[in-house]
Amino acid sequence: MEIDRRKFFKVLGVGGATAIAAPTRNGHAWQSKAPPDPYGCLVDLTRCIGCRKCEQACQTVNSLPQPARPFDDLTILDKKRRPDEKSYTVINRYYPGRRDDRDQPIPFFVKVQCMHCQDPACASACIVGALTKKENGTVHYDVTKCIGCRYCMVACPFEIPAYEYSDPITPRVMKCTFCYERVEKEKKPPGCAAICPVEAITFGRRNTLLKVAKKRIQSDPGKYVNYIYGENEAGGTSWLYISSEPFDRVGFIDVPKRPLNQLAETIQSALFSYLWSPIVLFGMLGGIKWAFRDKSHAEHPHKGGES
Amino acid sequence: MTRMIRRLSGGIAILTVFAAIGGLTVFLPGSLLIHEAIAAADPAPVHQPDPAWVAPDQEKAKKRAQEIVPFVEAVMEECELCRQMRLREMGLGIKDSASAYYLLDSPIIKKSEDLYGPVRFKHNKHAAQLKDCALCHHYRPLDENAKETTRCSACHQEAFRPDHPERIGLKAAFHQQCAGCHQEMKQGPTDCLGCHNKNVPDHKELVMLSGKPQPTEVTRECLRCHKAAGEDMLKTAHWLWKGPSPHTLNRSKHVEHGKATSAVNNF
Repeated sequence: MEIDRRKFFKVLGVGGATAIAAPTRNGHAWQSKAPPDPYGCLVDLTRCIGCRKCEQACQTVNSLPQPARPFDDLTILDKKRRPDEKSYTVINRYYPGRRDDRDQPIPFFVKVQCMHCQDPACASACIVGALTKKENGTVHYDVTKCIGCRYCMVACPFEIPAYEYSDPITPRVMKCTFCYERVEKEKKPPGCAAICPVEAITFGRRNTLLKVAKKRIQSDPGKYVNYIYGENEAGGTSWLYISSEPFDRVGFIDVPKRPLNQLAETIQSALFSYLWSPIVLFGMLGGIKWAFRDKSHAEHPHKGGES
Repeated sequence: MTRMIRRLSGGIAILTVFAAIGGLTVFLPGSLLIHEAIAAADPAPVHQPDPAWVAPDQEKAKKRAQEIVPFVEAVMEECELCRQMRLREMGLGIKDSASAYYLLDSPIIKKSEDLYGPVRFKHNKHAAQLKDCALCHHYRPLDENAKETTRCSACHQEAFRPDHPERIGLKAAFHQQCAGCHQEMKQGPTDCLGCHNKNVPDHKELVMLSGKPQPTEVTRECLRCHKAAGEDMLKTAHWLWKGPSPHTLNRSKHVEHGKATSAVNNF
């Protein structure tokens, strides 16, 4: 029998259709693994004065390298920065358009760090479990497990994890630790929240912070944009922001409002539950092999032996 | 011809040496001469401060700043204007002030960090200028027996209290109230060092000099850590001997060609 292209695709198509139909029939609904009441931080951007004390505290608490320019040098704000392997958090300055009575643009400061997603895409992408979501809200990085594949960097919707490319022997993925040890063992707020002179960062339980944020917006609707960034971003994050400026104008990334690992994990768990997909695949391959087997051998069973 | 040039250059060299010596005698030992003159004259009786004397208001403020008062759980909800009017009708003013001078400092803040020194706060000066107690004393305790105005640290203590998540801590209360108002009124400092002294670590342990060091050794020792300060100094008028001197009363001038550029001594 000749290899019929149309027939080949027909067999493949039927197999594929069952493969796609199977998970919906099985109904393995994706379950969020988010902790019920994690810690979080509410950043009130209207309060931030851009003093960079949070950067300084972060460097001290996490024993990061001393920066080339001191923390009280505010000219560094002239350029937009991102958290990198030497700094877990940075302050950026924006001029969103408001002017004071002397017609000078009013600066607006935005703190950037890991958002500590409720359902972190980085932890989902990590193939060795080096990144995990802890009960207290931290997305924790375990350097002893990390193999340096950097999938987390690709997966993160907020573009946070950085990598020590400069260190060829023992490179690490670097991102905000939520001062895990400090919060968990010493029962202290994270370094940045503790040092902030104006309490632009409020530390507490995420559910409480959401209430506080809503109350603040409600009590001064003229001041705040009626939106809590992080309430639903990427399925919700432990870090929350409220602002007087529209978030897209001050450097916030527009992130899907659902857990980003939902789709990937649904597909993955659907494909590999009860190992049905390999069974179907190899069964299908066997079927094709059987359907297109060389029938001339059957007619002359002793042909091989003769030659 | 060559002889002429040689003679001329020799002359210039001699002149330069003279000029240099002249400049030096006028300038470098100037301060030394003055010191010697003072030493030679009858020494004026130097005022020796009494070591036992302390500034009473400073001591009082220090003591007060160390106190921790009971936390006010609930405050009376009152609109800003209502409170302002009520306090005015009560006739509350400077005469009711407990002290004219406070130190804004507290063990509550020092518990978490100790980066800056305390802030000197002239309470009555602010009260006299603002004429509105309600600007800072924005709420009163719900307890009717309590005084109308209380200190900041009665309501604002540790930050992030789980039972009062909306109540800001003492440090933030100070900063939001002071810096916020200064910004709004366009009066008073809004930067860290405008109010605070930096907490300078004890240099007894840090300085590594022994015996009787030479002045240059002392400078070198300072520069060992304060390298940037040294580089900055090289750009100031103190080193360059040029630039404007706007703060020199009745003697202000602008010198473009200082010692560091073209002239020897023109100040």
